[in-house]
Amino acid sequence: MARVSNQQIVRELKAGDRIACRHLVDMYQSRLLAEAISLFHVPQLDAEELVNDVLLAVVSKIHSFEFKRSDGDFHNWVMTIFRNRVRDVMRRHAFTDGLYESYDESALENEQAYTHIERDVVRSILHRYEESARSSVEEGSAGKGVNALQVVAETLDAMESWERVLLRCRSLEVPYEQIARYTGKSVKYLKVYHARVKKKFLKLLTQRVPNAS
Amino acid sequence: MKTKRDIVDQLLQLAYLEGKITTHGLYERTVIQRKPVVQSSDASRNALVQQLEAALLSSRSKAVAPVTLGSFLRGLREHQSLQLQDLLPRLGISSNIYKLLEHDRISPLKISISSWRKIQRFFQIPLDTLEEMIRRTHQLVYFRASFRTTLARYSARRNRKVKAARLEKAAEELFARATLPLPEKEQQRLDAFLRALADEDV
Repeated sequence: MARVSNQQIVRELKAGDRIACRHLVDMYQSRLLAEAISLFHVPQLDAEELVNDVLLAVVSKIHSFEFKRSDGDFHNWVMTIFRNRVRDVMRRHAFTDGLYESYDESALENEQAYTHIERDVVRSILHRYEESARSSVEEGSAGKGVNALQVVAETLDAMESWERVLLRCRSLEVPYEQIARYTGKSVKYLKVYHARVKKKFLKLLTQRVPNAS
Repeated sequence: MKTKRDIVDQLLQLAYLEGKITTHGLYERTVIQRKPVVQSSDASRNALVQQLEAALLSSRSKAVAPVTLGSFLRGLREHQSLQLQDLLPRLGISSNIYKLLEHDRISPLKISISSWRKIQRFFQIPLDTLEEMIRRTHQLVYFRASFRTTLARYSARRNRKVKAARLEKAAEELFARATLPLPEKEQQRLDAFLRALADEDV
């Protein structure tokens, strides 16, 4: 089936044309479902509900959407709604189950590359995030969970630009080829240095969060 | 929610979700290029389409109806993919006048009754809807001059963000003003025009 342009989908949605719903589902349902399940590890049933929520929000808020720069604006708008919904799921999950505790222990044991101190640092940040997520869920306030992660952003800022891009993008499974085009480094170089950059990030993070244990 | 992920990746993902870090659009672009590893079933796809159609229908009914002739005519023409050169000969209006109408730059009272009848028939607009829009648009055009003064006052501000907010406020002000009663003479003129339009219908 020929791919429908974003401009067309938006035009159809704004005109109330029902075919737009089919186009929207064809374009986004499987993609967002795959992202929620395989990348953000949202359970299947929650993920289906999440994607439905996202697309319903798109349809009901379409009248407030306007193209400003390019055809990609619509996709970015959908992705922002998707990101916010996944964030809400994560906050709820952090509040109810705890993030660090829900890791598969065998997976952590296999992470031989990280020291106990490094793991404690991550654990302490995640616990702080869980606490702030609890207050944001209970009080219904948005954005409080952000403060606990401020140190992550600050640590990244202390790294080189290509290192930052590599870490951020690989955590979201952006292909090396795409990162290479953006950073100007070779794919081979990025693959080799990814693990080292991670170690460097954790080292810097440990310096910034000294009293983790 | 058991995961087998790298702890650093997990932390960075959370930072991304909370809006603390961005990927400069690289991730967002990847999503559309990636072949989905999970395929939704036909049943769930159809169920979602039905849900969306219902939501679309309800959002359409909630959406603010076009209040002026300009927005109404423009929307209608775009929706029906009509070209001006096909449309104008059937309405008996010059292209300049029609463009002014579409941008609410001319009072509908300046268009002849017979042309309005043609427009009404061509677009199949109910008479009371057309009357309401003519009334509203005439008010808008009448009060536009005072809106221009308001805009000029706000444009003088240097700060762009402030300017945008003020312009928005000014736009609201315009519509608020447009609901103000017209001066008596102007109101009589409008009423006479609308009566003539209704009589033509009979």
